[in-house]
Amino acid sequence: MNKQTFLRCLSIVSFLGLWWFGSLLSAPEILPGPVVIGKTIIDNFTTPGPEGKSAEFHIVITLARIVFTFTIAMVLGIALGLIMGLRRKMELAFGYLIPIALTIPTLLAVFLCVMWFGFSEAGGLFAVILTVTPFVTVNLLAGTKTVDKELIDMARAFKANRGLLIRKVLLWQLMPYIFSAFRYAFGMTWKIVALAETFGLKYGIGYMFTFWFEQFNMAQVMAWIVLFVALMLIFEHGVIARVEEKLFAWRPVHAV
Amino acid sequence: MSTQAVVIEGLSKKFPSPSGFGEFAVIDALSLQISRGSFASIVGPSGCGKSTLLNIIAGIETYDSGEVRILTHDGGQSGPRISYVFQSPRLLNWLTVEDNIKFALEAHNIGRVGWDQQVKKYLEMVGLAGQARNFPLKLSGGMQQRVAIARALAIEPDILLMDEPFSHLDEITARKMRVDLMRILERAGPTILFVTHSLREAVFLSEEVYMMSVKPARIFKHLRVDIPRPREPEDPRLFDLEKDLIKEFFAMLEQDQQ
Repeated sequence: MNKQTFLRCLSIVSFLGLWWFGSLLSAPEILPGPVVIGKTIIDNFTTPGPEGKSAEFHIVITLARIVFTFTIAMVLGIALGLIMGLRRKMELAFGYLIPIALTIPTLLAVFLCVMWFGFSEAGGLFAVILTVTPFVTVNLLAGTKTVDKELIDMARAFKANRGLLIRKVLLWQLMPYIFSAFRYAFGMTWKIVALAETFGLKYGIGYMFTFWFEQFNMAQVMAWIVLFVALMLIFEHGVIARVEEKLFAWRPVHAV
Repeated sequence: MSTQAVVIEGLSKKFPSPSGFGEFAVIDALSLQISRGSFASIVGPSGCGKSTLLNIIAGIETYDSGEVRILTHDGGQSGPRISYVFQSPRLLNWLTVEDNIKFALEAHNIGRVGWDQQVKKYLEMVGLAGQARNFPLKLSGGMQQRVAIARALAIEPDILLMDEPFSHLDEITARKMRVDLMRILERAGPTILFVTHSLREAVFLSEEVYMMSVKPARIFKHLRVDIPRPREPEDPRLFDLEKDLIKEFFAMLEQDQQ
């Protein structure tokens, strides 16, 4: 075990210790201890919950919503960023909309969409796409400003067509920007999906927060929060970090 | 069939002047013919419009008047294939060495069937056969420029444009690259238009040397270098030629000032 891993384990263990100690001092309905929460999580997987739905069911629903909205927001955001970055007129015409979109508070966007679409699946998902896309666009737009003109000239001298130019020259130069957008957008997406589920969507992890909140069952609310955070951490560190390593193998030093 | 590869007549190019008012001519009424298969150098001081001329021939820069014709071996049936080796390697650092070469092949719509063979052939030619799967940033500057040369040769161009390709390298590496370039070109023989500010480099490499004046650029001297190849970099005949050309260049400058 190296020093870094050791320090990490130490901090996790001391956090659990503090939590456990705190739980001894307070009533179980205010701060249930880590053992109780762990048991609750396991129980949620082994025995069906409210309406006979198991924990897996809600997890799959939430993940599906995240993947769906995240993919659309990324593709849309990249496309808009590229169009504005490569066509000066487009940036002049639509660029000013980005700061407006970025300023609208997320919670308000969710409310707006609920008012427009009602408590429907479409409304919740639309709210996520609406709030995440501008962040991707603004990153890509910034990226297009740093594109190396010498490489574009090289590609033109070799008569590369537009498709080849975008695929092999532009997108790769934008990769650090796409990636930071990717990370940021992913973090935003799962928080907003959980928010939308809390406020209106049927099923999903956020829905379970509300459900148990209304029952005032602290152990269940905390169990779902711990599960949610654990899942997202696994996703970010397990999946995204791996993809990143692959994509940036060409760099002598990993800078992103 | 024409024996010319590049014919330029009365070429003019203006840029907006740096002060913001009006324009100034970078190239004015420049004419030039380069015969097929020859190695021609254009020599001139920095900032005389040499790179602009190459960019115009490559089709990545526009011009205001005159004519630029690139003649292919089949009399213009297919579009001319033009390759470019720049001052810096301008490789796509995120692609492996072999994929960088394939980029040029794909850009020119060369059939996928022959790609691997073509990549292998030209990487061997520049002495980098073992580096095909490596990424450019893991190679030295000289090796990167070799990849750029392999990329340029791999499309088997009608014309190879080279813009001071060795000027960013240290002199020892540059010297080795010049000798290697000569050896490589014995096997692959496109017409070459080589731009440099070094008279020594020009007389060592070329069969034809064109000297360019500054602002606006025009050709004021054309010289054939008849010394047979392979040449020795220290050949005294090359030094003599270089000396004569330097004299002429300064004579031209004085004349211009009067």
